Amino acid sequence: MDPSPLLLILALPFIASLAVVLLPSASREPPTWVAGATMLACLACSLALYPSVGAGEVVRYTISWIPALGLDMTLRMDGFAWVFVTMVTGIGFLVVMYTRYYISAEDSVRRFYQLFLAFTGSMLGVVLSGNLVLLVVFWEMTSIFSFLLIGYWHHSQGARDGARMALTVTGVGGLALLGGVLIIGHIVGSYDLDSVLASGDAIRSHALYVPALLLVLLGALTKSAQFPFHFWLPNAMAAPTPVSAFLHSATMVKAGVFLMARLWPVLSGTQEWFVILGLAGMASLVLGAYLAMFQHDLKGLLAYSTISHLGLITLLLSLGSPLGAVAAIFHMLNHATFKASLFMAAGIIDHETGTRDLRKLSGLFRYMPITGTLAMVASAAMAGVPLLNGFLSKEMFFAEAVETHADSWVDIIAPYAAVLGSALAVTYSLRLIHSIFLGAPPESFPREPHEPPFWMRFPVMFLVVACLVVGIMPAQTIGPFLHVAVASALGSATPQYSLAIWHGFNIPLAMSVIALVAGALLYLGAANYLECAERAPIFGRIQGQRVFERVTVAISWRWARMMQETFGTNRLQAQMRLIAVVAIAAGAAPLLLSGLGLRQARPIQLDLAFAGLWIIGAICAVAAAYLAKFHRLAALALLGGTGLATCTTFFWLSAPDLAATQLVVEIVTTVLILLGLRWLPKRSEAFATEEGWLSRLRRSRDLAIAVAAGLGMAVMSYAVMTRDAPDSISRFFVEKAYSEGGGRNIVNVILVDFRGFDTLGEITVLGIVAITVFALLRRFRPAPDSIELPEQQRIQRSYDDADPDRDAGTTKMEYLFVPAVIMQWMFPVVIVLAAYLFVRGHDAPGGGFAAGVAMAAGFILQYMAAGTRWVEDRLRILPVVWIGGGLLIAALTGLVSVLLGDPFLTSYFRYAEVPLIGKVPLASAALFDLGVFSLVVGATVLMLIAIAHQSIRRLRAARLEEERQKWN
Amino acid sequence: MDWSRHLLVVPVLLPLLTGSLLLLIGEVRHTLKALISLASCVLLLVAACALLRLAAGLPETGGALTASYAVADWPAPFAIVLVVDRLSAMMLVVTGILALASLIFSMARWHSAAPHFHTLFQFLLMGLGGAFLTGDLFNLFVFFEVTLAASYGLLLYGSGTFRVRSGLHYIAINLAASLLFLIGVALIYGVAGTLNMADLAVRLPAVVEADKPLLYAGAAILGVAFLVKAGMWPLCFWLPSAYMAAAAPVAALFVILTKVGAYSLLRIGLLVFGPAAGEAAGFGGTVLLWGGMATIAFATFGILASQTLGTLAGYSVLISSGTLLAAIGIGERAVISGALFYLVSSTFSTAAFFMLIELVERAREPAADLLAVTMEAYGDESEEEEEREDEQVGVIMPGALAVLGLSFGVIAILLAGLPPLSGFIAKFAMLTGMLNPAGLGDTAAVPGRIWGLVALVILSGLAALIAMMRSGIRIFWAPMELIVPRVLVVEVAPIVALLTLCLMLVVQGGAVVAYTDAAARALHTPATYIQSVLGVSPPAGSAP
Amino acid sequence: MELTLAIAIGVITGSGVWLVLRPRTYQLVIGLSLLAYAVNLFIFSMGRLRIGAAPVLGPGGAGSAADLADPIPQALVLTAIVIGFATTALLLVVLLVARGLTGNDHVDGREKR
Repeated sequence: MDPSPLLLILALPFIASLAVVLLPSASREPPTWVAGATMLACLACSLALYPSVGAGEVVRYTISWIPALGLDMTLRMDGFAWVFVTMVTGIGFLVVMYTRYYISAEDSVRRFYQLFLAFTGSMLGVVLSGNLVLLVVFWEMTSIFSFLLIGYWHHSQGARDGARMALTVTGVGGLALLGGVLIIGHIVGSYDLDSVLASGDAIRSHALYVPALLLVLLGALTKSAQFPFHFWLPNAMAAPTPVSAFLHSATMVKAGVFLMARLWPVLSGTQEWFVILGLAGMASLVLGAYLAMFQHDLKGLLAYSTISHLGLITLLLSLGSPLGAVAAIFHMLNHATFKASLFMAAGIIDHETGTRDLRKLSGLFRYMPITGTLAMVASAAMAGVPLLNGFLSKEMFFAEAVETHADSWVDIIAPYAAVLGSALAVTYSLRLIHSIFLGAPPESFPREPHEPPFWMRFPVMFLVVACLVVGIMPAQTIGPFLHVAVASALGSATPQYSLAIWHGFNIPLAMSVIALVAGALLYLGAANYLECAERAPIFGRIQGQRVFERVTVAISWRWARMMQETFGTNRLQAQMRLIAVVAIAAGAAPLLLSGLGLRQARPIQLDLAFAGLWIIGAICAVAAAYLAKFHRLAALALLGGTGLATCTTFFWLSAPDLAATQLVVEIVTTVLILLGLRWLPKRSEAFATEEGWLSRLRRSRDLAIAVAAGLGMAVMSYAVMTRDAPDSISRFFVEKAYSEGGGRNIVNVILVDFRGFDTLGEITVLGIVAITVFALLRRFRPAPDSIELPEQQRIQRSYDDADPDRDAGTTKMEYLFVPAVIMQWMFPVVIVLAAYLFVRGHDAPGGGFAAGVAMAAGFILQYMAAGTRWVEDRLRILPVVWIGGGLLIAALTGLVSVLLGDPFLTSYFRYAEVPLIGKVPLASAALFDLGVFSLVVGATVLMLIAIAHQSIRRLRAARLEEERQKWN
Repeated sequence: MDWSRHLLVVPVLLPLLTGSLLLLIGEVRHTLKALISLASCVLLLVAACALLRLAAGLPETGGALTASYAVADWPAPFAIVLVVDRLSAMMLVVTGILALASLIFSMARWHSAAPHFHTLFQFLLMGLGGAFLTGDLFNLFVFFEVTLAASYGLLLYGSGTFRVRSGLHYIAINLAASLLFLIGVALIYGVAGTLNMADLAVRLPAVVEADKPLLYAGAAILGVAFLVKAGMWPLCFWLPSAYMAAAAPVAALFVILTKVGAYSLLRIGLLVFGPAAGEAAGFGGTVLLWGGMATIAFATFGILASQTLGTLAGYSVLISSGTLLAAIGIGERAVISGALFYLVSSTFSTAAFFMLIELVERAREPAADLLAVTMEAYGDESEEEEEREDEQVGVIMPGALAVLGLSFGVIAILLAGLPPLSGFIAKFAMLTGMLNPAGLGDTAAVPGRIWGLVALVILSGLAALIAMMRSGIRIFWAPMELIVPRVLVVEVAPIVALLTLCLMLVVQGGAVVAYTDAAARALHTPATYIQSVLGVSPPAGSAP
Repeated sequence: MELTLAIAIGVITGSGVWLVLRPRTYQLVIGLSLLAYAVNLFIFSMGRLRIGAAPVLGPGGAGSAADLADPIPQALVLTAIVIGFATTALLLVVLLVARGLTGNDHVDGREKR
């Protein structure tokens, strides 16, 4: 048979929802028509499928989606699903028809139908899913769209809160359901509904059955607003009435019980299932009915009665008996019909009178007799009056309740709860009818009420007629469909049952009579009390949403903040400490666990001079650490001391390149920091606050960390140094450096050839940093307290002012005059030195980097000697161009080889003809090195200038200050 | 001659050339710079896709699953080698898409706010490309540094007190991490005598027993460096404020940075200390698992407690990296496959979120045009003033509010991992992988810590949902009338594009999962990788 | 010799770590520079120590791996030095700017309450 209608049923609503988006935003009629047509089309499709479904076969349609995860687009329609689809689409159509007259002029019809249609699609998806994961997908989508629908009037606080609560509760449920489905999938080995339904015993007997059950039920109960998660439904009444009529009677809340019935063959029949569902159902049944009595808001009453009726269904499913399941499914349909009609009637009343408050409403019957009649019949069905559909399912319910299914107190009190629940149902139904339609009309309504237009009333009428017809001749009308549904839902467990109205005098009948009479009496007795009671005694005090709000605020706000502050920090010191500790731990763990094999593989030679060198170096380091807080300059000098010791070590231990580079870098770094020092705030021991024992403790902890880190590094390096070197890849370089790399200085050849790629990255870093520094300092704002001239310059200035025949700044010019001149003469020398370093690089220690830094040092010397202005007046250096150019040269040098078909950066020394020993090597690597040189010069100079420039800016600021003082 | 073999070096070379070229162009010529930068980004993406096709082993590319490229033409273990396999190709494509999106976004105003935006941007891309491609430990360090240096520049881009303060933290912490990186690499070299990852994997079993502890110590310290960058609790506190401080397009691009750390862990973890490595197998996996779980938990609380959208986004970055780390810690093929899917999805959605935030904030109080503020406060020279002018260019988005609202909703669903978007598929893929490591039908009992992780992943989604819902309602449903923001098309387009991609991930779910599955399988069989790096004689040849 | 160097590395590291844990930005910079020295020496030491065996080949490329110091750590250190220099400079400037913007020199930009 052709399964395409199945796909259509699912796809049409979504397509329509998207189509509505394309309509102009102000349009009112077109969206309505689209929606109505969609509903009808879906209905038609499902009717078209009835022949095959009615014949008991299961229609499937599968689109492969993500087979690797066992997740496929499997649609599956059996009788049960068919009944639901028909109900959803049918009532959906009626609601659309109703909405056309309900929705007011200022509301956006387009947005309403976008959401409405999308929701319908998701709901149909839930019903039709043949794969549990797919079911979860649509399940969550219903939550999302119902959130948006409840929040349709989001300008009102109530709507926002209601929507938020609904999504939070159902969202939690949905995630729980996902967990449950994952477990079921793990047990069964498939998410496909058929294979899951086939392996009920495996699931029930599995160790993970209880968690799976709990999670699935959490999902179902939250969705169906069952105790203790019922509180979101009354708050969801802030939604437009059509939404309530559709979501909160026929579809959304039914999804929960639908799921329970779906998985009934798999999960039911155990003690856990019975107790959990039994309690939840019973509590919802009684509590819902009880609270419904006390509602003054018409929709609130209906909401609580919905909770109560769904509780009835849950209770029926909990019993685990096939007949119970039949009754449950039957009641799902009945409840949908009468509750939808009642919601719509409520909407009409609200629409006509402008209020939903039972205390304000009265005597409406004479204004709208037809609507009144319909509403009365529907309420009667809700109360379970004979000859109406509500009566039949309730009879079945009673019959099941008296049966014993499991010897537990839940089972014993079930019948009493059942009677009590339906008695209260009678009471609130009576209250609804009486206080709205009967009695004397009040002197004034907010609006003068009259009958609504026929087509607004038609949906109500249709449904009420359905209630009657089903109630009078069930077997002929609903019988076959119900049977198909039951047979497919229960499978082999399908029992014998009769849909007759009259089963003779028996206990269930007695129970109904008791319930009706008791309910009526209760209303007669308590009518006035109910009318004026502020809220229900005892249970009324427990405000579900209040509790909810408190909990959410507590968890998602206070606790979260607390946890965040406890386990997190924004302070740099703490983070550094953590990093240090974690790193030490990481390094120490392997060494401690599997022991550090300290092997004396190499002879230890001790060199006193070397030791002496490092005694000084170490003292410098420690002293720097000690003085860095209050004596910055001293600390800097000491840092330099350590640096020099490092240089010497490199030189000593046969690494001349390192020594040279370290030295030049040393110089530049020191100059940089010197330039920076001037902007830091003054700090002297005088202001040092006396720290308490706490900070002393903190310091000793830091000291411990520092010692541990030092120890770790020392041990590791010693351990490695005293081992034989592994057969390292360096041998290759030593062998190839000259023969193929064309350089005798292996280190340099590695840098510009073997590992030139590293160098490329390295110089890029330098360039990036330089331009970053430049960009940063351009926005530099010195702190107010370091604006004024340095003390020394102020002294000079005052000296000038004191002496009449000296004008300001002369002393400054003369200051360090001789050294300045010498430094200026040094410039050419420096350039030559740089050139020399560069040229010899490939064969002897030196190279582009050292040369570049030396060159930059030459520039900075000029700055120091003659001041920023003087230098920049005389030589234009465009550092940024040097940087960009350098990078380009380096990269393009590498690219040449690509043009010649070799990999990037291939060096071409070996193809040069000239014998090169002792001469300038014409290796392309040298060109690369030129790029390095250019970049280094550019970058270093740029950084130095950027900092040096600040003094000018500062001067400008100071000068402005002086101007101001001069003028006033 | 055969140019395709040079494809591997393009992701590094192209941004480098573009970036240095841009340095030579006058500073005020924003439009020209932007166009050049854009062109290079497009080319980069094209190259990445080509590499993806190469790595996916499609027949028309000769079915090469892993290709290697010896830079400077020296044989593999000695010189630096670039390697592309499914994983790195995937990362490159994600980077390319992200770069294109945030670059287009930045063209509305940010790119002209301060000097050298495009240069820094390109250099960041260069660093990322190198980090994803290189097969050499020290070279990896160098490219990490390139990436970081550029990221420092971009984070501080536009200056401002908050930026500089969190920039200081960011730099200090990353400097410490880099030092750890060096120590780790040095130790490994000192013991194993090689820097090439594949070579290391080969040499590891041969290392003398007594030396192994030192080697592991080195690897562990290296791991700490990666964890700092990947943002694992308790090394992650710098992350939210840094990302919040960055300019919107920069923050969007930064989303990939944490993934670099995760990538390195995955690469080195499975290549060197993978199943093949004998007793060293699963080195530190437990640490990753627990650390990842701690990260998720911490970030979950953080996301709940966040008051501004910025913090919310920052903590969602943390959640995703925590999830990734935990998944890597488990190391099962199925989980890794899911994690890769998750990586793509979460990267796109978070990046879109960062960009959206700026527009939404603009919608809330139109005066608070971030840029304008920084300009007033910190721009002193005149050139910034005239830079403000080209802020007016571009088409203004009609119906902006609706689009923003919709995008916000979609992002909320993505972050919460709710159906039907890719966030859900990703989480489901990971979860089902965790419960059924050997595929569905694997009835082996699941250990408790895995259950804990499953719960955490689901709960973190719930937290994201609650937080997003709270701020979404506050922003879009608040009763007072919202000011319709001045939003340019170029600003909305990238967001919408990224979200559309997330949708495509769902529609094409089958293909994507197939790819990530293959990638995970390749990671679990390092032999192919090693073979293509060391085994093949022609340097730039690609393994059959 | 090995012992001396190891101890030296340890001491420098210790002082560096101590400074890095201090609250003043200047201490941070000095500390990181010290750590950079320590790490450079550490990397260098990974190639074992040699005296008078600079990795520079004689004329005609004479010399073999056996009697030359390991060049690779030296190359690595060179790269590390450059990068360290760059990042130190950047940090210095950032702390100057931070000092300018926040008005103090605490690493968190605000004095502890």
